[in-house]
Amino acid sequence: MNRNRFLFVAVVLALLWSLVPIYWFCRMALLTPLEIQQYPWPLFPRAPNVASFWNIFGYDYILSDGTRVPASGQANQIIRGLFDSIVVSCIVTLLTLLAVLPLAYVFARLEFRFKSVLLFAILLSVALPPVSTLIPFYAMYIRIGLSGTLTGLVIVDLTITVPFVAWMLIGYFRNLPPIERLARVDGYGRLAAFVQLVIPLAKSGIAVAAVIAFLFAWNEYTYALVLVNGSTANTLPTAISGFLFQDPQPANLAASVVVTIIPPALVAYFLQRHVGEMNLVDPVR
Amino acid sequence: MIRRRDFGRLAAGAGLALAMLPRRSGAAEFPSLKAGSGQPVYFRGWQYKTDIVQNNVSRYNSTQGGHVDYATVTGDYPAIMEQNLMSGGQLDMLYGNPSQATRYFDGGWILPVEELPNYEEIKAEFLPNLWDAWTYKGKLLGLSYFATTRGVIHVNLKAFQGAGLADKDFPKSWDELYDTVFALNGKGVATPFLPHWFGEWYGISWAFVFEVLNRGGKVADDETHKPTLTTDKTGPAYKTLAAWKKLWNAKLVPSEVLTYNEAAYIAAFGSGRYVFSPQQLYDLESFNQKGKSQIAGFDSLLPVQGQSWGLIDSALYMMTKRERPAPVTDDVKRFTSWYGFKDETGKLAVGERWMQESMLFSAYKSIMDSPTTEARIKQAVARPEDYKAVLDVYKATPYPSGIWKVVWSEEYNSWLKDTLANFLLQDSDIVATITASNDKIKELNEKYGI
Amino acid sequence: MASDQALPKAAARPALPVRTRRELTDTQFALAIGMPVFLFLVLVVAYPLGYAIWMSVHKIIFFGGYRTSFVGLANFARVLADANFWWSTWVTLRLTVEAVILTMLLGLGLALMLNRPIVAGGLVRTLVFLPWCVSLYGAGLMFAYLARGQTGLGTSIAYAFGSSLSVDLMTRDMVIEVLAVGAAWTMAPLVAFFLLANLKTIPRRLYDLAALDRLSRFETFWNVTLPPLRYTLFVFTSIITVLSMKLFDFIFVMTGGGPGTSSATLTYQVYKVSFKNLDLGYGAAMSFYLLLLILASTFVLYLVWGRREARY
Repeated sequence: MNRNRFLFVAVVLALLWSLVPIYWFCRMALLTPLEIQQYPWPLFPRAPNVASFWNIFGYDYILSDGTRVPASGQANQIIRGLFDSIVVSCIVTLLTLLAVLPLAYVFARLEFRFKSVLLFAILLSVALPPVSTLIPFYAMYIRIGLSGTLTGLVIVDLTITVPFVAWMLIGYFRNLPPIERLARVDGYGRLAAFVQLVIPLAKSGIAVAAVIAFLFAWNEYTYALVLVNGSTANTLPTAISGFLFQDPQPANLAASVVVTIIPPALVAYFLQRHVGEMNLVDPVR
Repeated sequence: MIRRRDFGRLAAGAGLALAMLPRRSGAAEFPSLKAGSGQPVYFRGWQYKTDIVQNNVSRYNSTQGGHVDYATVTGDYPAIMEQNLMSGGQLDMLYGNPSQATRYFDGGWILPVEELPNYEEIKAEFLPNLWDAWTYKGKLLGLSYFATTRGVIHVNLKAFQGAGLADKDFPKSWDELYDTVFALNGKGVATPFLPHWFGEWYGISWAFVFEVLNRGGKVADDETHKPTLTTDKTGPAYKTLAAWKKLWNAKLVPSEVLTYNEAAYIAAFGSGRYVFSPQQLYDLESFNQKGKSQIAGFDSLLPVQGQSWGLIDSALYMMTKRERPAPVTDDVKRFTSWYGFKDETGKLAVGERWMQESMLFSAYKSIMDSPTTEARIKQAVARPEDYKAVLDVYKATPYPSGIWKVVWSEEYNSWLKDTLANFLLQDSDIVATITASNDKIKELNEKYGI
Repeated sequence: MASDQALPKAAARPALPVRTRRELTDTQFALAIGMPVFLFLVLVVAYPLGYAIWMSVHKIIFFGGYRTSFVGLANFARVLADANFWWSTWVTLRLTVEAVILTMLLGLGLALMLNRPIVAGGLVRTLVFLPWCVSLYGAGLMFAYLARGQTGLGTSIAYAFGSSLSVDLMTRDMVIEVLAVGAAWTMAPLVAFFLLANLKTIPRRLYDLAALDRLSRFETFWNVTLPPLRYTLFVFTSIITVLSMKLFDFIFVMTGGGPGTSSATLTYQVYKVSFKNLDLGYGAAMSFYLLLLILASTFVLYLVWGRREARY
């Protein structure tokens, strides 16, 4: 059928579009420094090796031709970064959802005084460029002793994720059919209506919100670079950026980026089910 | 890398030729390098061979009972360290370039070396010109991490000889270099020259500074810091910019070079695509390493034939002045001395290791004199005759005290970087650019009351 | 929209006892829910914002002894006279417009595609989502390698066809377009997934009705699919606009504002002034202009588009 073929081509194109940039960079993880310096780069690696994946976690690796590739000096920071990033991202996701779901619902459904003002406040929070609040945050944190701590980073991440996810979810909640009104007719309390009816209905939106919050926290670079860089609370992005500068170790850099992509990809995979496969037939029935 | 160091005119060669000085100066030494306070000492550096650094630190911690916390600071190191110092963050010992050291000292954030009890001994070990370069307002700002020449012209012998040229054709000056580059292009080499125009803060701006220095000029006076560039057509600044304009407009340099970071810049030359490129002196080692570079065994350098090449790039270890209890400060001093000078066995262990591992030259006479160093250098170069070339270049390398030993060095550098890039991209006027540079320096002098 | 028919199931259940408790009004309920969050946001954002305001009306010097002096609106005036500021604003606007258009089109296309049943749907959806997982600095790295002639895809493809052309896209003229493509690549999945979530709430019945009426594919799209999406499309256009204007990691890693200052957006310019030159007062003032630009853009979008959608 024509439609199927069209869809097939579309899917292939979409996959190519999404994956080629990732492939082009990440394949450096499978190459030796010599191959990386080739000009021009061959389209496909000829003799891939997995040395750099071992190196970034602190192990030497012996290639097939006997050369030993030493472990990276960044390994400690990478492992610590991985752990810290997971902790921070999970906490931020949970707190964000707890804070944002009721908030977005309230904004989408109810009319009340100060609504515009508060909406504007949310917008303001999202619009603030990190660059301008970086120094004040840093100075504030030093004073209250939060610099170089995970708590500090969680707080900063929340100031980004909460308004942002709230903004996104408001639109989503507006689109939901107002079944809780019907539930109220039956005598459900507002909170009960929200928890028992709206939330299950909004599963897909919530799933997406969770993924977004997780990713924001996971990939947060600018604030982490200044607030936790070089401390015991460093996260993965800062640990990796060490490979970006000075001593070029592109294979290790690429391997680290691959490691960075895997957890969010897994989170996305588990949560995308709620988005993709949910097909509400008719919520009113 | 972030290193700048004054090497001056007096050469390491003079230092090398000096007889071994007596190690014991009779002055005070550290009673003990063992850590005493039990509190952590925070040591931060940029990302370069961090495995070696971590190893050194671990050795101190285990043999001297230390609690040194080392971590790499990645990203925009100078900006981040400055933020840290300004806010009094947890930082006790750090790397830095001499120009940063100048800035930090003026900001009141670092302790000069004279605070160490073995100051006289350290002073005796120092090569004189590095001593001059790293001393500001009479105070030595830090201990020696390394010194090198950035901007020495590497030659890809494979391509050079492949075009039918030989050693006798090695250009003797920047003008001859550009002539050779155009000649090579005429012979069919598409990209004969990779200029030092990359996008780091020590890229294109430093390229201008060292080319002017090599041609015999100075951007600003060493003592008064007043601008000294002239706009006459035979002046070093004019000739430099004119050569750049000609090179750029002939499209011999791809535009992407302006966005390269150092890793990309090194990788580009290592791919063998270019014939000449100003690079770090110690990268002779990595470019000649089999399994790492496509031109291994073929990377040579242009010797000194009447003109110097590049400028001194260096770094030092500095101690911070933040608020902490006196025993912790003592520990900081002990660790800094152990790491930046002699360890408990009296060896300049860390410095010698950098020489052996990465061919990083040092400010200390003992390291530069030693026969192991000589053997090490000979191991890294492509051909035996290059060893003498390396030493000659290193000895002759200049240092721009006028614009680096002053508090506005970073600001000027940042402005210069943008201006030069725009000079190329927008085909600006040469005289206007030189005048703008002079005006900028005047403005900065006024701003800081110099 | 949804008709107010009684829930048949609920009607069959016995009615719950009517409790006479005082219910919160809408406002009280909203505030009760929202207050903790707002308090948090206010506390954590107010200090940096206040500090930034303070910095912007002072001149701050670190060297030769830390000192600040009140200069009123002088910093703000200086920004307006700064050619770099106007250049950065132009770069920002150009990048934002291009990135937003590309992102929204791509996002919509991807959402429509993913809405259909696909073999290995879960895997496809995850892979399509990967660009957003990659993070902005990761994307910066990837596109840097892609766009440079030295390591670029273009060069390698040309080479595979026997040419020795070096395809360098990091030129003054093209770098903003490359940035826009890269930004769209990263952000489109975000848009796509929210749109997909919305698409999933469209009752199948409506499609069946459209089929019965023999609507063409395009008419179905326009009349059935698009209307419920319009509000989300508006929200996301605003969001992507804000994100594009705030883009920092991506540009910092990929071009460093270069070549030269060709891709120095306003965010990057603020970074340079504040962090490189340590001219904190001036940088803070410039960042307020950036904030103004962002707010103005969202406001304009609201006036032109959002108001029409707010008719619920």
